[in-house]
Amino acid sequence: MVYKREIPLVITFLVGMLAVADYFIPVDLIVDAFTIVKNWALVVVAFALGLGAVNLFRVHGRHISKRTSGQWYFSVWLLLMLVVSVVIGLSSRQFEGSDQYTWWYNSIFMALSSTMYASLCFYMAAGAYRVLRARNLDAVLLLITAFFVILGNTPLLPATWIGFFEIRKWIFDVIVEGAWRGIRIGVGLGSIVLGIRTLIGMETGYLGRR
Amino acid sequence: MSIIASGRLSSFIMFILMWIATLIAIWLGKQGRISVRRIPGLDVVEEAVGRAVEMGKPVFDIIGMGDLHGTYGAQTVAGLSMLGYVAGLCAKLGAHLIAPMATPTVMPVAIEVVRDAYAAEGKLDELDVETQLPYLSGTQFAWASGVIGMAARLKPAANIMLGPFWAESMMFAESFARAGAFQVGGVARLYQIPFFAAVCDYVIIGEEIFAASAYVSKDPVMIGSLAAEDFAKLVGVVLATIGAIISIAGIEFITELLTK
Repeated sequence: MVYKREIPLVITFLVGMLAVADYFIPVDLIVDAFTIVKNWALVVVAFALGLGAVNLFRVHGRHISKRTSGQWYFSVWLLLMLVVSVVIGLSSRQFEGSDQYTWWYNSIFMALSSTMYASLCFYMAAGAYRVLRARNLDAVLLLITAFFVILGNTPLLPATWIGFFEIRKWIFDVIVEGAWRGIRIGVGLGSIVLGIRTLIGMETGYLGRR
Repeated sequence: MSIIASGRLSSFIMFILMWIATLIAIWLGKQGRISVRRIPGLDVVEEAVGRAVEMGKPVFDIIGMGDLHGTYGAQTVAGLSMLGYVAGLCAKLGAHLIAPMATPTVMPVAIEVVRDAYAAEGKLDELDVETQLPYLSGTQFAWASGVIGMAARLKPAANIMLGPFWAESMMFAESFARAGAFQVGGVARLYQIPFFAAVCDYVIIGEEIFAASAYVSKDPVMIGSLAAEDFAKLVGVVLATIGAIISIAGIEFITELLTK
């Protein structure tokens, strides 16, 4: 069906060109029109959040009704927490600004989230062990670089000899920054070309195979 | 008074030049005069899905937790393109695809992309959207713990990650590596590239992720458009070199021009 492909492409082109015009030619007419489009997007986002909640209820409701082994009691807990969060938010009529919601959020969610974030150091240590084994010349160079960066990051060694800190700084300011700028320029240009391909209707990956 | 916003004239000129370069590159692509270098990370995706079929284990495709707008919108679009490609391969070869979702606004688009890919292979009846594209959470570490749990329980054979990732990237890469998954990681966020490079079997670096959909399509016209990127990079290198020399010489002409 042609309309399933052509209409989204036309909408993409019009909204995309409006966004480009809003950035380069900020006259009142264009800015106002783009503000309206952005407001529409907010409404769509609100509906999409509802879709996410519905999906959670359907998927986990199914696990509960089927008593999926090793899963159903987690599903019960997840849906319970979801409902309780909504009730606490709505009952105070201040939503996430209320004291009750703040306590609920800080006591449960923040604690769990911080724990997950803290566990990252173990993942990084395991990843570093994986990559810092001197198997070939590249790995040896990486190992030497990492050695100096670690020495420069420790408080004790730069305090005894400032050179450790200077070596680390040189690695970051010269070697790392040089590579990053190259990647950053490439990413910028890649984004622009992807945007142009999307605007002219060549990039249709986000539409599926229609 | 200029109609172009102050400080954006040089960006505007660059944008127009890039547009022209893209159209020329597409025209050259149509003539069959453009060939692009190989991107091993994209070449092995089919092999990864085939491995999953042989092992009878699922394939994960994770598109990150970015949105379709803002700074990371382009990476999300690239991730969706790759998701469509992987979904098509899974439907064609008979692998079980799982794509955990984190962004409610991207989720309907991802569902449509996967549904279309399965429909194109005539296997729409094999797709169960609710279990294969589950919405886990919109917050970073709740989503991360959900994905890590799935990796530990399901022991996937392959994991394709392409899109915007943050601190969860290392958690995913390490968890899937421990589960024995063959991994392809692609991200344009500078801090996450080393994580994927350290742990994944193949890594797609920086702008290569934006080339993914054109590259895997094998369409000469799409591939032609990629040449515009290289052309712009060449111009950028020349301008940077000239700028560095002129700047060292104490002439501020280019700096002043670029700030107009």
